Amino acid sequence: MNVIFGTIIIISIITLILKNPDTVLSAMLQGGENALSLSMKLVVIYAVWLGIFEVLDKTKLTDKISRVLYKPNRLLFGELPEKANGYMSINIISNIFGMSGATTPFGIKSILELEKHKNTEYAIAMFFVVNATSIQLISTSVIALRISYNSIAPTSVILPTILATAVSTITGILLVKVFIKREKYV
Amino acid sequence: MSKYFIPLIILFIFLIAVFKKIKLYDTFTNGAKSAVPYIVGIFPFLVSIFILTELFEKSGLSDLIADLFSPVFNFFGIPKELTKLVLIKPFSGSGSLAMLSEIFKEYGVDAYISRCACVIYGSSETVFYIASVYFVSGKKHKLTLPIIISLTATFFSCVFACFICKIL
Repeated sequence: MNVIFGTIIIISIITLILKNPDTVLSAMLQGGENALSLSMKLVVIYAVWLGIFEVLDKTKLTDKISRVLYKPNRLLFGELPEKANGYMSINIISNIFGMSGATTPFGIKSILELEKHKNTEYAIAMFFVVNATSIQLISTSVIALRISYNSIAPTSVILPTILATAVSTITGILLVKVFIKREKYV
Repeated sequence: MSKYFIPLIILFIFLIAVFKKIKLYDTFTNGAKSAVPYIVGIFPFLVSIFILTELFEKSGLSDLIADLFSPVFNFFGIPKELTKLVLIKPFSGSGSLAMLSEIFKEYGVDAYISRCACVIYGSSETVFYIASVYFVSGKKHKLTLPIIISLTATFFSCVFACFICKIL
């Protein structure tokens, strides 16, 4: 991350200084402002979803969900600590159904939980790749945008999207399996 | 049909909670409370990634790289109009959504290019955003390989998207 960030930012700033030096700082501030306005939106979305999931947790339904996903999770990530398995299950379920407000908080919780144990690098890498290759089945924002542009078939992209999502996720999973070694967590 | 899905799930969760005599107000508030520390935790990462995206765009570096990559992308069947979308998506969800509506405006929402763009947008994720936001604890992880794997997988699905949109 440091290498990528450093390279892109330095080349960008050099190009901007050559072209238009005034814009360097203003672009950086604009970036910060965008981050703030997104945070304002996100805090509300997180509040709603974390509220809902706290209720869900109290009903013991999360235990049921994580028990159902225990076997597929083990197949994918290897043996998992119980708590991490629970958080990861919620992250994956909310990812698939496009409840993006819940995915990030539970993604963070999952990673923090995995970090408490040793030899979880494989699980962390796999979890990251699964999240980063998109497992969302229907992108509601795309459909909404298509409708607002008066598409004659707004939902026509759903099937190709699901297929392409499958391609990226399966490729990602296979590559992790080939390139990263799986160890038992301690 | 799908518009009922999430409201019904929420209703279902709340009904079970009431049925199990859970204090709904207290529990919900308690969960909502934890949203604030999350945002405070990820804010610095958001700022950095957004500054990166802004500089990448404003400096014209993204256009330059798009021009550079477009023959390669073209070779794999990704139209040159979509190179920039493919390159921006890993950095910014809102940026690429804006680009999607630009594409709709320019080519018409039901054109091949636009449908392709939808599939590319919908089947890929903001890889760098996830890489920065999920790892808030600051512990060192070897993320280079997972990032490369994610980007490779995304490229595969983009190629596939442009192919499948021709048939379907």
